[in-house]
Amino acid sequence: MNAIKDLPSQSPTIAIVGSGPSGCYLAQYLRKRWKEAEIVIFDRLPVPYGLVRFGVAPDHLGTKAVARQFDRLFEREGVRFIGETEIGNRVTLQELRDAFDIVVLASGLHGDRALGVPGDTLPGVHGAGRITRLINGHPGEQIDGLRIGERIAIVGNGNVAMDLVRLLLTSPERLLELGVAEDVVRALEPGSVKRIDVVGRSAAHDAKFDLAMLRELTKLPDVSFVAQNLADEGIADADGIAKRDAVAEIAGGSPARAARSVHFHFGWTPERIIGQDKVQSIAFRSTADENSTLLLDVEGVLTAIGFEELTTSPIRRSHHESAESELDKGYLSPGLYCAGWLRRGPRGTIPQNRVDSKMVADAIIEAVDTAQLVPGKPGLPALLAQNPSNSRHTEESA
Amino acid sequence: MSKTVILYGTESGNAELVAEDIGEELNGGSSVVISDMSDFDVAELSPEDFYIIICSTHGDGELPTSARPFHESLSAASPDLSGVKYAIFGLGDSSYETYSKGSEHIDRVLTELGAERVGEYGRHDAADGSLPNDAAVTWSQSLPLFV
Ligand SMILES: Cc1cc2nc3c(=O)[nH]c(=O)nc-3n(C[C@H](O)[C@H](O)[C@H](O)COP(=O)(O)OP(=O)(O)OC[C@H]3O[C@@H](n4cnc5c(N)ncnc54)[C@H](O)[C@@H]3O)c2cc1C
Repeated sequence: MNAIKDLPSQSPTIAIVGSGPSGCYLAQYLRKRWKEAEIVIFDRLPVPYGLVRFGVAPDHLGTKAVARQFDRLFEREGVRFIGETEIGNRVTLQELRDAFDIVVLASGLHGDRALGVPGDTLPGVHGAGRITRLINGHPGEQIDGLRIGERIAIVGNGNVAMDLVRLLLTSPERLLELGVAEDVVRALEPGSVKRIDVVGRSAAHDAKFDLAMLRELTKLPDVSFVAQNLADEGIADADGIAKRDAVAEIAGGSPARAARSVHFHFGWTPERIIGQDKVQSIAFRSTADENSTLLLDVEGVLTAIGFEELTTSPIRRSHHESAESELDKGYLSPGLYCAGWLRRGPRGTIPQNRVDSKMVADAIIEAVDTAQLVPGKPGLPALLAQNPSNSRHTEESA
Repeated sequence: MSKTVILYGTESGNAELVAEDIGEELNGGSSVVISDMSDFDVAELSPEDFYIIICSTHGDGELPTSARPFHESLSAASPDLSGVKYAIFGLGDSSYETYSKGSEHIDRVLTELGAERVGEYGRHDAADGSLPNDAAVTWSQSLPLFV
């Protein structure tokens, strides 16, 4: 396949590690440039699409539909998917680099950032990543006696926190209908949640959630919304004002009495989680006034303050960076690139990975077109010849 | 020298694929050009050509990133678009209040500048997880292409 020449350069053989949005968008752009190039996407999971499948909430079908766009890569564009192949474990990165002209790391960031306060490992404290993976049926996630309880604090006020609020107030019937597994629905007890406190460090106008995500909450039946610490001063931008006003509007427009309630708290930093052998309460300190504290009695704490590199991950970007790396275009070393969350950190929506991958694809194309990188490696046949099916748990070498 | 110009405004890439599918569908007789709205110079809008606009919705009813420069140039330059004909297909998700609003911003500015919308206003709702492509291709088959 790679014998066919696309002028002015021969098409390279390309391996992409990770089939999330960044890996898939990258394959789209590279396929546009090289119609005949061998492009293989590896994933450690048996099924593709990363967080589109295992992060995005199951009721956001419109967002998940981007997967149908990516399906075309494998159905019509001749891109190959190889699942159940963890790079750095089943196949080493060095083996991949020996076989392919270009290797792109697009393996994401999968660790829930911990609160980093005393008590944050008590039973009853759960990372949002774990909960959303469970909800989405991730093969590596177990219920392990999980019980969410009736009173919950969610720490963080980004879009993932909004997903959790919405999902925990969605009826069990609806979750089952959306394909959430029965044992997961039972563990989450979404029907019995009485009160959720959503606590964030930033003020309402600086909160990370998108307005559309906040507004979506108003569709939930029988919920009263309460908002506190809505600062009026020092809001410079229109977006901030719109956000603050939307929170006020939602609180003002909801029933005073309802079976469930959601309390927004802005401007609080977690200080400590209290409990003997499980969570009993969580304490916060005000960012504005250090003498002011907030203590919430809860049965569960869900942390949604972002993601980080797992220290156990077989692929860590820092291991492949050197003085010559140019992270702002995804270049690590000759023939080795990175994209998506692994490149720029755990921020941004699916479309932002499209922009990111376009940039990395352009850098790759430029390297080949200017002969900084001369294609010639045989690709998949060379890798298969090394017989990776005979699983070796070797360390990755850079 | 009249041609059909398919302009797409996209955020996640879905509108681009719709544009490509419609382009394939139309590639019978007339010549078809597909362009990202952000790569299109509004000075080229001409009564000679027919425009098919595919535009998604971003965030809280806003324009998708790739449609913004087009909208801004039109608003700033206010060219006279009398005689320009276009059809429009909006993508959106009725899970959000602002379903399909993105394309309406483009529709409004084109109409205000004198262009004429022809055919049915096409829309697709992604709330059920379906892709817009089939609906859009069916819609394009009903367009009066040689107006
Ligand atoms: C809970 C949650 C909800 C979200 N909801 C939305 C939303 O509604 N809308 C939106 O626009 N964005 C949402 N996002 C953000 C969006 O998911 C990310 O922007 C995007 O998925 C990042 O893409 P990525 O390709 O970099 O990483 P990922 O999507 O994480 O993909 C990485 C892939 O690499 C694979 N992998 C990892 N290590 C290896 C290895 N060693 N070998 C082989 N394969 C490997 C993984 O299995 C995975 O498939 C959400 C994120 C989270 C966490």
